[in-house]
Amino acid sequence: MDTAPAAKASIHAQTPPKRRALLFLVLPPALWLLCFLVLPYLGLFFQSFLGTNDLGDVVLEPSLDAWRAFFTKTLYRSTLLYTFKIALTVTSLAVLFSVPLAYFIAFKVRRGKELLYSLIIVPLWVSYIVRAYAWKIILGREGILNSFLQWAKITDAPVEAFLYSEWAIIIGLVHIYTPFVLMPVYTAFEQIPRSLVEASKDLGAGRITTFFRVVLPLSLPGVIAGGTFAFVLTLGDFLAPVLLGGTDNLMISNVVQNLFGTSNDRPLGSVVGIVLLVVVVALLETTSRAEKSFASLESGRGRLGGAR
Amino acid sequence: MIRMSSWVSAAGLAVLGIASLGCQGEKKPEGAAPTGSAAPAAQKPADPAEKFKGQTLNILAWEGYADPKFTKGFEEKYGVTVKGTYFGSSDELVAKLKSSPGVYDIVSPSSDVAYTLVQGGLVDPIDTSKIANWGDLADALKNLEDAKKDGKQYGVPFTWGPDYLIYDANVVKEEPKSWKVFYDAQYKGKVTLWDDISNIYLVGQIMGLDKTNQAALYNMTDEQLAEAKKKLVELKPQVRKYWATAGELNDLFKNKEVVLAVGWPLTVGTLNKEGLNLKGVIPEEGATGWIDRLMITSSSKNKDLALAYLDYVTSPKAQALVFEATGGYCVANAKAKEHMSEDLKKSPCVTEGETYFKRLNFWQYVKERKKYNELWNEVKSAK
Repeated sequence: MDTAPAAKASIHAQTPPKRRALLFLVLPPALWLLCFLVLPYLGLFFQSFLGTNDLGDVVLEPSLDAWRAFFTKTLYRSTLLYTFKIALTVTSLAVLFSVPLAYFIAFKVRRGKELLYSLIIVPLWVSYIVRAYAWKIILGREGILNSFLQWAKITDAPVEAFLYSEWAIIIGLVHIYTPFVLMPVYTAFEQIPRSLVEASKDLGAGRITTFFRVVLPLSLPGVIAGGTFAFVLTLGDFLAPVLLGGTDNLMISNVVQNLFGTSNDRPLGSVVGIVLLVVVVALLETTSRAEKSFASLESGRGRLGGAR
Repeated sequence: MIRMSSWVSAAGLAVLGIASLGCQGEKKPEGAAPTGSAAPAAQKPADPAEKFKGQTLNILAWEGYADPKFTKGFEEKYGVTVKGTYFGSSDELVAKLKSSPGVYDIVSPSSDVAYTLVQGGLVDPIDTSKIANWGDLADALKNLEDAKKDGKQYGVPFTWGPDYLIYDANVVKEEPKSWKVFYDAQYKGKVTLWDDISNIYLVGQIMGLDKTNQAALYNMTDEQLAEAKKKLVELKPQVRKYWATAGELNDLFKNKEVVLAVGWPLTVGTLNKEGLNLKGVIPEEGATGWIDRLMITSSSKNKDLALAYLDYVTSPKAQALVFEATGGYCVANAKAKEHMSEDLKKSPCVTEGETYFKRLNFWQYVKERKKYNELWNEVKSAK
């Protein structure tokens, strides 16, 4: 980010034609953001202060009903908290799987690194819904897992708790979002100069000490970036609860979808949307700060952080 | 700065303009008209077949309401394409219609939201003189007040039927007499309910609220709603999953996840053809039911074609095909019976007719719909 002030300064210093050229460079993304992010959110914000009539139409009269409903009814708060819980679990598990796997590929594999890495990326090519359905086939009452357990005489009746449960949602989401964590973690591992690892060993640190005191801290920006991906994406997910969840796994995006797509209560839907946006922006800000502070530990100049 | 902002707004408008053009382009008639079968009729210049040729009719309807089994006849007659989009709940219909005006030509609202569409100006009055079979359609359906405004008719009766209790007769050996079977401990985790506020009507019925006044289910007091919520939360451990679409309900039965459900004849009809042994029953508390009428949206760009479709789909032959395609949804035209297979003639809506009609408590307009919706979400989020 430290390039921004410099760019600003150079705009003022440059001659008009160059300035215009720069404007053309900045304009498309700025327009994009304005049309597809700023304006829609402004619309949502405006709409959140309106009410609805008996027929469910938004009426142009200022009203705080939607905000009041959001803050007074436990439904919205408890669903938001529950969603956080799921997102945190999914993120932790995805990180837990990604770090050893990425470490293995980055440091231990000598040949076929690219192949292994792309094997992890390949699932991203398969549609989300197909993968969720695959889990249905695996976890269902007459699914692969239950058939196996019964065949192996581990259980004598199908286990119902696999599918249509919180765990099914978590498994599905971890499967879907782990590659998003793995990619930045792997990149972080790859960027660690091997000489540092050698130096650690030369100075008498064992393998485990080297991993926890040198390698892992240096990979933290990647872990944080990946974890943020998983967390934010899980927070906004509404398909997994619908496809894999049971009767009590309502997540906040299901509520949003319900408010816009079913109840036609657009003001309240807007309120929830804005609250989610604020939460996500706050989270991104916090993690990007954390990322930078970890990155600057490394060489004093934030080399890794600057690269991202 | 000023120049910048005017640039931005001009370009923004251009982007929006292009986007909306793009959307309109999408709605243009698509696909080539089926050739051959409609050719002889199409040679007369004044023939409607010529007029409509190549157009696309967009139907936003309940699952199964744009089945090729009966839409094909219309497509061939006029050389048009019928495109169906299915919705999963009444509220979804209203939300979809409001959020995308101009996309859909015909909708199939049930009796709980028909009033909303009519009063909200989302649908147009229908010139019933243009519907050849109007006289043959059931009076009970034509006379419903919710589809009328200022003496004008807004809906063409299409189908009606129950939200009855469906059970897997291979597992549930004895026909359930009461909805209370859902609470039976031996079927724990084997029940599925529809993901819709109609569950509130259902428990209202179990509570006996509609014994004296049918409308009571649709106008519950706060205390009654609280009681209904309690009953629905109590039922949760029994429920495997709330189904969102008829397709999902099919999967639940097929994969042996559930043995009891609240659902429609479509499910029984479809799955028994695949070798399952499902039965539908109206328990002693009664069942709610739905009356679906077809309406022409006020934003439709193909109103004449839509009217031609309503004329077609209410004919005895088409209605018999609808009956067959939906696995036994009662149809509005009694003359359809002549075209039905012997098997389907055994359906209670043919044999019992009016008595069957009277056994159902048909959905009505719910004024406090927001409250019902919120309550249903609260039930779903309850742990």
